[in-house]
Amino acid sequence: MSPSADEGPDFDVLRSTAMEDLVESITRGNPTEVKVVLASVVLGLAVYQVLLAAVAYGWLRLPFLQQGSASWTHRASGDTILVLTLVIAIMCIGYSGFEDGGAHSIVATILLGVFTTKVLVVRFGGRLGRLLPLLGVAVLILFGITWLTSAGDFLGVG
Amino acid sequence: MAGRPPQGVQMLGSLLVAIAIVAAAIAIVTAHFGPTSSAELDAREERLEQREENIEELQELEEERRERDR
Repeated sequence: MSPSADEGPDFDVLRSTAMEDLVESITRGNPTEVKVVLASVVLGLAVYQVLLAAVAYGWLRLPFLQQGSASWTHRASGDTILVLTLVIAIMCIGYSGFEDGGAHSIVATILLGVFTTKVLVVRFGGRLGRLLPLLGVAVLILFGITWLTSAGDFLGVG
Repeated sequence: MAGRPPQGVQMLGSLLVAIAIVAAAIAIVTAHFGPTSSAELDAREERLEQREENIEELQELEEERRERDR
């Protein structure tokens, strides 16, 4: 049943319209393009993260990069990825909404869950720290699939 | 280890690589978009509208001319 005029404004609709307007104005009318660029930046940095992690763990030895430096850059780049991912997620859900049953929505939700777990393990993990390489690779794979089901589709790659 | 640059240089270098990756991703993706920015699309839409208006105007003039000839 649709709400009558007496029931007042539909706040959900107003909120979603305000969010759409905000995303439109921030991206100057190119929300999809901006999201695709940001997602591609995140994917590029995520690949670099795995390389840095391999150096930090000593699995990959480079003559010009020590484990400590690789670890420091891994953290700095990871913080950037976290912020960018949150911005993309907010833009995506705020502008396009949550598509029930869509592959992109499902994979992106799993990605956010695994990513949050990884951040929590880094900060408070203790013994769970040995799971970090596995979580890192999982995050990279999920970033790849999330990118393919959205930005890749848009660019004609997926 | 001998031969390795100082740690500060290593950090700066690895950060610069990250910045280069960001710049390359932006350049490659935006080059892939081509003329699909909203400004370009608006301009293209305006040109199409203008062309349609011109065609309509020409048709009207043609009709007027035919009526005058009768």
